[in-house]
Amino acid sequence: MRGFSMWKRDGDFSLNELFKRNSFILSAVLIIGVFSVINPKFLSLYSLQNMSLEIAPLLPMACGIGFVLYSGSIDLSIGAVASVACVIAGTYVTETGHWIILYMVLFGVVAGLINGSLIAVLKLPSFIVTLCAQSVWRAMAIIISKGSSNTIPIKQRWIVNWATDKFLDFPVILWISLALVILCLVIERKTELGKSIFAIGANEKAARLAGVHTIKIKILTFVLCSTGAAIGGIMYAYKLKSSVPTIGDNLYMMAISSVALGGTLFSGGSGSVLRTLIGVISVMAISSGMNMAGVNPLWKDVVFGCVLIAAVAINSEKGGRSLIIK
Amino acid sequence: MSSEALFTTHDIGKVYGTNTVLQDINIRVWPGEIVGLIGENGAGKSTLLKIIAGVEEPSMGTMQMNGQNFRAGSMLNANESGIGMVFQEQSLINNLTVAQNIFLGREKQFSKGNFIIWSKMNAAARNVLNAMGLEDISEKAKVRDLSFAMRQMVEIAKVFDIVSAASNNHALILLDEPTTVLSDEEMVVLFDKIRQMKQRGNAIILISHRLQEVLEITDRIYVFKDGKLTAEVETQHADEAILYEKMVGRETNSEYFVSDRQTVPAQEAVLEVKDLSMFGSFKNVSFNLYKGEVLGLCGVEGSGKEDVCAVLCGDQAKTHGAIKVHQRKVDFKSPSDARDVGIISVPKNRREDGIIDILSLAENISVANYQKNAVYRLISNKNQRENAKHWVRSLGIRCSSVNQRIINLSGGNAQKVIFARVLDSECPILVLDHPTRGVDVGAKGDIYALIRSITEKGGSVLLMGDTLDESLGLSSRILVMKDGMICGEFDCPADNKPEQVDIVRLML
Amino acid sequence: MQFISGIGDELHIENTLPHQLRRSILTKQEDIWMELFRKRNRSSQTIAEEFVQKVENEARSNLIRVYAPITLLVGMTIFFSIYDSHFFSLKNILNILQQMAVPLILATGLSFVLLIGRIDLSVEGVMGFVGSFMALLILNDRNANDFGFWGVLIPIAIGIFYGLITGILHVKLRIASFIITFATGTIIKGIAILLYDSRAARVQEQWMTDWSMMSFLGIPLITWIAVAFFLVCSIILNYTAFGRAVYAIGDNEAAARASGINVERVTVKAFVISSTAAALAGFVALIRLKFGQASLGDDQMFPCITALVIGGASLSGGRGGTLQTIVGILIYMELLNFLTIIGVDANYKKALQGIIIIVAVALTLSRGRKTIAK
Repeated sequence: MRGFSMWKRDGDFSLNELFKRNSFILSAVLIIGVFSVINPKFLSLYSLQNMSLEIAPLLPMACGIGFVLYSGSIDLSIGAVASVACVIAGTYVTETGHWIILYMVLFGVVAGLINGSLIAVLKLPSFIVTLCAQSVWRAMAIIISKGSSNTIPIKQRWIVNWATDKFLDFPVILWISLALVILCLVIERKTELGKSIFAIGANEKAARLAGVHTIKIKILTFVLCSTGAAIGGIMYAYKLKSSVPTIGDNLYMMAISSVALGGTLFSGGSGSVLRTLIGVISVMAISSGMNMAGVNPLWKDVVFGCVLIAAVAINSEKGGRSLIIK
Repeated sequence: MSSEALFTTHDIGKVYGTNTVLQDINIRVWPGEIVGLIGENGAGKSTLLKIIAGVEEPSMGTMQMNGQNFRAGSMLNANESGIGMVFQEQSLINNLTVAQNIFLGREKQFSKGNFIIWSKMNAAARNVLNAMGLEDISEKAKVRDLSFAMRQMVEIAKVFDIVSAASNNHALILLDEPTTVLSDEEMVVLFDKIRQMKQRGNAIILISHRLQEVLEITDRIYVFKDGKLTAEVETQHADEAILYEKMVGRETNSEYFVSDRQTVPAQEAVLEVKDLSMFGSFKNVSFNLYKGEVLGLCGVEGSGKEDVCAVLCGDQAKTHGAIKVHQRKVDFKSPSDARDVGIISVPKNRREDGIIDILSLAENISVANYQKNAVYRLISNKNQRENAKHWVRSLGIRCSSVNQRIINLSGGNAQKVIFARVLDSECPILVLDHPTRGVDVGAKGDIYALIRSITEKGGSVLLMGDTLDESLGLSSRILVMKDGMICGEFDCPADNKPEQVDIVRLML
Repeated sequence: MQFISGIGDELHIENTLPHQLRRSILTKQEDIWMELFRKRNRSSQTIAEEFVQKVENEARSNLIRVYAPITLLVGMTIFFSIYDSHFFSLKNILNILQQMAVPLILATGLSFVLLIGRIDLSVEGVMGFVGSFMALLILNDRNANDFGFWGVLIPIAIGIFYGLITGILHVKLRIASFIITFATGTIIKGIAILLYDSRAARVQEQWMTDWSMMSFLGIPLITWIAVAFFLVCSIILNYTAFGRAVYAIGDNEAAARASGINVERVTVKAFVISSTAAALAGFVALIRLKFGQASLGDDQMFPCITALVIGGASLSGGRGGTLQTIVGILIYMELLNFLTIIGVDANYKKALQGIIIIVAVALTLSRGRKTIAK
C-alpha cells in the first residue's frame, strides 16, 4: 500500500530508526511482557475492547502534544482543556445534540490560538504560558460544572451511546481515534506544516533563515495540540457518559509518558505519531497490567513517575556536552 | 628588554576537519613588549590568540611561557601560567558588580568560613581598579549599568589581576580588537593603560584592524595571511603602505575565481536600497543590485555590512529606509517574507544557522520551498528525494544517500547542500554571507563555478566574501563600508580588477 | 545652551563641539527631545554614538523594570486601603501575615532554582509528603506513633535529601528540569498518597497546637519561621560565593563555567535549597492545619511562581533575589486578600491568577532582538 512506502524511508521513520530509540524497545518489552507473561487473559476480546476504550480518548491528546514537542516547546494545559471540553460536552450534549462536538473542537482551536499567540508573537516561554492556561481552564472546568460530575440521565443516554457501540468488534471512538492518528501521520510526513514543525524543532534559527514562517507554524502547533486535547475531552464525556471536571488532572502525565515511551525526544526535531501510538498502548498496558495484577491503584503516580524518568533517561540525547540543558 | 623571550610558539598549527586555519606559526614575545597581529578577516589571528589563551587546542606545535613548555587546553591553565585574554564578546556577568566580576571564582580570599566580606572584596577591587588608573569606575557598580568602554576596561583589569598574581608582573595579556567599541579619547586612555602595563614588564599581544592604532602603540608587528605568517616588522620601520602590501599579497588568481565567466550585469535593477539605516549599526546605505551582477560588500568588523545583509534578508528590522525589489516597494518583517519577495540568504554560521542537523539531506534542501514537490498541497516524499538527487548530481555533493543525516557531511558538502536549498527556493536575489567559510579548496572552486552559473542564468548576488581576494575575484562591483556607511565603490570588470591595496585603505 | 537652539537648526553647530562635551550633554537630554532631534537631523550621530545610545536606552528600561514592582506594591496597598477600609485593619494585616508564611518559604526556595534558569515542579509533592508523613509519625489519631522530635526531623530530612536526588538526576542524566522535577514530584506525591489511602490524620501534639496560635509582637510564629528562613537564604544568596555563582550561571552560564565555577554542583545545591524550602513549608502547613494529607502542597507552587515573576524574577535566569521575592509575595498576598474581601469565588481567583501572571510576564520579560522562546 502506498502508505507503507511512505514510512519505510525518511529519516526518523524507517524501521530500524524506530528501534534505535531505546525507550521504544522498552515499550515493546513492556507490552509483550504484560500481554504474555503476566496474564494471558489479557488477549481476550473483551479485555482488548476495554483497553481500547481507555486508549481512544488518550490518543488524540498524545498526538496533539506530540506536535508541540516536535517543535521544541511544551504544553502543560492539555489536561485542563480536556476537562473543560469534557464538562461542557457532558453537560450540554443533551440540549444541543451533536453540535456540541463541533463547538468543543472550536474551543480547542481557540485555546490553541491563545497559547500560540502568546508564545509565538509575544515570545513568552511556552512553559509559563501553558502553566497559566492550565490554571485558568482548570478553574473554568470547576466553575462550569459547579464542582461536581454530572451524569447524563439514562433516558437521554442514546445521544452518546453510539460512541461506545461496537463497530467491527471495537468501539466507535477507537476507530475515530485511529483515523485521527492517520490524519496526524499525513500532516507530519506530507504537509508543509508538518515538515516545518520538525524543522523548527531541530533548529529554529536555521529554519527561520531558510524561510519557514516560524510564527504562523508555532501558533498552528499549539492549535493542533489544544484541539487534540479538546477531542480527548469530548471522547471522555461520551465514554463515561458524564461530565467530569477533574478528568484532565492526570492526563498530562499520561500523554507525556506515552510520548516518552514511544521514543520521541523532548529536545524537538524528531518523532512520529506511530511512536506515540505504541507509547499510548504501553501506557495502557502498564495501567491495565497493574489492575490485573491487583496492584493498589494508588501506586499509579509512583509507577508512572518512574516510568517517565526511565523512558527519558534511556533515550540518547542528541546534544553533546556543549548543549545547555535547563 | 631582557634577552630571554617571555613567550614563544613553535610551529603552531590548527586544523578544523579538512580545513587548515593556521600553519607553521612561530612567534616570540619579550617582556615589556607590545606586539601587534594584523591581517584580513579569517587570516587566523583570532584563532592563534584563542590557542594561546587556552580556549582552543592547537592541532600541532608547542608553546613556551617563561622558558617552560606549556600546553594550554584550558583557560585556567593559561591563567595560572600568567596568560590572560580579554575577549571581544563580553564575558562579564551583567547582573553582578564590578568587584564581584573581578573576583568571580576567586572569592575564597575574602571569605570568613563561607561568607564573603564584601568590604574586603570591594577594597581589593578598588585597588585593582586604581592600579589600572580606573579611578572613575565604581567597584560597586553593576556591570549592566556600565558603558561598553568601561566594561572593556573592567575586563582588562580583571584579566590583569588574574595573571599578575601568577606571574609577578611578567604576564602576557592578549587583546582581541579592544578598540572597536571605544571612542577616540577612550582609546587614548586604553593605550595609556597598556603602556603602563608594558612599563612594568608585562607583554601584550594585540589584534586590531586599525592600522594607525597598531602603528602607534606596538613595538613589533606580525602580519598574517591565509593562516600563515607572512611578515614580521619592527613598528618603527613600518608604515601603512608597507603593512597593506604585506597583508594583501599580489596574486588575484583569476583562474581560481573563474573570472572569464563573470557576467556583465544587465541594466535592470532587481534590488534598490535607499537610505537604509539601522540605529546603532549603519545609516544612509543606498545602492542598486542589477540582474546578473555579483555585488561585493567589503568592510571590517563593525563596519555594519553584516547588519545590512541581515536587514536585506529579513533577519533583522531596519529603522529607516526603503527597499524595492523588481521596482516594487517591499516591507518585510521576517526571512519568510523576504523569501516570498525573492530574497534568500546563505548564512555565515553554517553549523548554527544553516544546516538542520537532525534532518536528512533531502529535507534540508526542500525546507525553503516545500510546495515545489507538492501535489495538491500534499508533499510527495518521493519527489523530494528525486529533487534532492538532482541537486546532488548537479552540484557534486558527496554523500551516501539523500536520506542520510546532514550532520555527517564535510564542510564543503554541507555548504553545497545549503546552496542547493537556496537555489531550490527559486529566489532571484541571493545574499551570500561568507559562502566559502570552512570549505576545502576543491569545494571552493565548485562554489565559485556555481556562483557564475547563477548569474549566467540571470540571478543576482550580494556577496560578503570570506577574503578580500574572493570578493574581488567574484564581484563585478564592490561597495566598501566603514563605520556604518558606504565610503567607496569600485568597478571590477573581469579584465581590470582594482588593486587590493586601494580597497583595504578605504576599509581601514 | 547655545548648541541646541531649535529643532530645525543645522547640525553643524553641534558638530563643532568637542566630542566629550557633546556626548556628556547629549546623554543628559530627555529621550523624547533626542528622538525629535534625531528624526529631523538624520546625520546627527555617528554609528558609534548611536550604539552607545542604544546601550544606554537599554540600561534605562532595565531601571524601570527594576522599580516597577515596588511602585506597584505601594500603589496597590494605597488603592486597596481606600477601596475597602477593612483592608488595612489590624485583623486583616495579621491575616495576611499568617497566610504569607507558606508562600514566602516556598518562593524563597524556588527563587534559587529560578535564578539559574531552571524550574522545580516537585515542591508540591515534597511539601505534601513531608507534611503527611510527619503527621503520621508524631502523635496523631490514626496510629499509635509518637516519635516527637524525630517525627519532625526525619520527614524534613527526607524532603531535603529528595531535592538532592532530583538535582543529581537533572544534572547527570541531562534531563530538562521541567520534566525531571515533574516526574520526581509526581512520585513523591504518589508515595504520600499511598500513606493515606483513607482519611487525613489529625495531629494531636500539644506543642503543635500551641505553636499554631503563638505569636511574638503580634506576628504569628509561623510567619517568624518563614521570615527566619527568608533571612538565612538572603544571607546565603548575597554573602557567599555560592550566591554569586547562582547569579552568574543565570546570567551567562558559559562565562560562569569559564571562570571556574562548578555549574553542576551549584545546580544541585539550588535544587536542595528548593526542596528544603518545600520540606519546611510542609512542616509549617502542618502546624497551621493540624491535619496531615497528601494534598497539603497542592496549588502552592503556582502562586509562588506568580509572586516571583511579578516581583521581577526572570524565568530564564539571572534576575531576581531577595527583594524581588518579598515584594512579589506581598503583591500576591495583598491581591489575593483583596479578592477574598470583595467576595470573589475561589475558583475565579484561580482563573484570575493565571491571567495575571501572563500579563506580568509579558510586561517584565526582557526580550532580546532574536529571542527564541521554547
